[in-house]
Amino acid sequence: MKIVVGGAVEKQAVADLIKKIAGEKAEVLIMSDVQAAMAIKSKAADYYFGACHTGGGGALSMAIALLTKAKCATISMPGRPPKEEDVAHEVAEGKVAFGFTADHMNEAVPMILKHILA
Amino acid sequence: MDFVNIAMVAVVSALAAFLTNQGIAVFNDGLRPIMPEFVEGRMTRKELAATAFAMGFGLVIGFGIPFSLTATILLVHCIFLGTDIIGTATPNGKMGGMIAAAVGALYGVGIKLGLEAIVKAFEMLPVNFMASLGEVGKPVVIAFAVFPALAVAYQYGVKKGLINLVISLLARQLIVRFGVFTIGGAKIVLNPEGTALLVGMIILLLFALNEKAPKEESVDLVALFSDRVARIRKNLPFLMVMGALVAAATSMKIMAGDPISLNLIKEGNLNDAAFAALARGIGFVPLVASTAIATGVYGPVGMTFVFAAALFIGNPIIAAVAGAIIIGLEVLLLGAIAKGLDKYPGIRKAGDNIRTAMSQLLEVALLVGGMNAANAIAPGIGFFLVAGLYILNEIAGKPVVRMAVGPIAAIITGILVNIMAVIGLFQIPA
Repeated sequence: MKIVVGGAVEKQAVADLIKKIAGEKAEVLIMSDVQAAMAIKSKAADYYFGACHTGGGGALSMAIALLTKAKCATISMPGRPPKEEDVAHEVAEGKVAFGFTADHMNEAVPMILKHILA
Repeated sequence: MDFVNIAMVAVVSALAAFLTNQGIAVFNDGLRPIMPEFVEGRMTRKELAATAFAMGFGLVIGFGIPFSLTATILLVHCIFLGTDIIGTATPNGKMGGMIAAAVGALYGVGIKLGLEAIVKAFEMLPVNFMASLGEVGKPVVIAFAVFPALAVAYQYGVKKGLINLVISLLARQLIVRFGVFTIGGAKIVLNPEGTALLVGMIILLLFALNEKAPKEESVDLVALFSDRVARIRKNLPFLMVMGALVAAATSMKIMAGDPISLNLIKEGNLNDAAFAALARGIGFVPLVASTAIATGVYGPVGMTFVFAAALFIGNPIIAAVAGAIIIGLEVLLLGAIAKGLDKYPGIRKAGDNIRTAMSQLLEVALLVGGMNAANAIAPGIGFFLVAGLYILNEIAGKPVVRMAVGPIAAIITGILVNIMAVIGLFQIPA
């Protein structure tokens, strides 16, 4: 599985966290948000991760613009930590691009990986 | 004067709510990418309003209001996150726009008067903690100047970051020691923090400009989203008026664009506040430009340069003219800016890293400030409470954004010691 880290802050930390959890199961690439969204669109990558301060601005703006909202989910917002059932629901609905706030990444990344690796 | 200030807030809020209602501008960078879904009919107003509320409400309560309380200057997040919600929740059409403007005006006045009432109420308590609450911002007004060095560390490694930090520090100390001199009888005082920030930013930008664009195909965003860029241009007159109003209100010190300049304005360091706002603006250019181009929706404060201009200028009327011109230029140059960012990818990355560095810096500085303030309010109890509440927030999965924990915990300390004083558990210092 190929995962791209697109937006916008703490990209290295998000990528490191994905590698640590997914290990051999995923190849992780850091890109600009546009390139990362294009990689999903052209099927060069499977999933898009992005962190920013709102969970949906820097993290997902390009992904939403290029892939449509139907493929994107904001799973944490400032003051709203991610919820396991929401993540499960979004993955089941076929979302491939996930945005969260940088301060929730330690909760959000493992939750998303758990469901997309399952 | 107070009436003029209230009227300013009302007009700013009314126009912002109107612009959101018409899908012309939203403040929350996280809401902007969803706007086309609504504008182009794939999302209902009800869903959009629910999203705006979910994204904004927590930040108004947990971020905008505490900062505004500690400094008694409105952090614009209080106003514009609210008008995002109001604008999305009001009906379609011209009538809806008018309703949004009316509700927006009421909301702005409510926030301004409400916050003033809270401050007055706090001042009447047996233990008056408003003066000590000012301590929250003390570390920020000095420490803000280090963030360019941190951004360099994020982008080019710790070693280069450390070098930048040392050079900025040296620049600061040189100004502290030799920055006051007289030329022809006029006393000139150079500012240490402003200089450190400037030196740090120049080093960051020099590094960033040196980064070469990768060979891979760059995506021509402006061509891809040309109809959306055209839509922003069509709305330019509205956006320019908004920029003018925000600049005027900022120059009148009614509102501030971010927690750093807010605290600097409170301390009276207007030039530092202007430089901080300018540096922050550079951090927001890539984010605002790319979300705007991809959505056709702009922001009521644009790329945030209006704040810097207003603080440099000081006169509300001139600031208003400058604000309108700045927003106008931002919009007209959107395409050029996007191309420039493709050519200098280092600058695009620097934008993200500036925002990361600023928020990390604020997290630390405001925690320390919160502890100092709380301990000034109630010696002993203050340190105990702030440390405890900060880590409890971490354990709870951060229901409050990290940088707001210090200020909120200090306010809680103030309220708590008043309760304790009433029941005899706390002796009011003489």
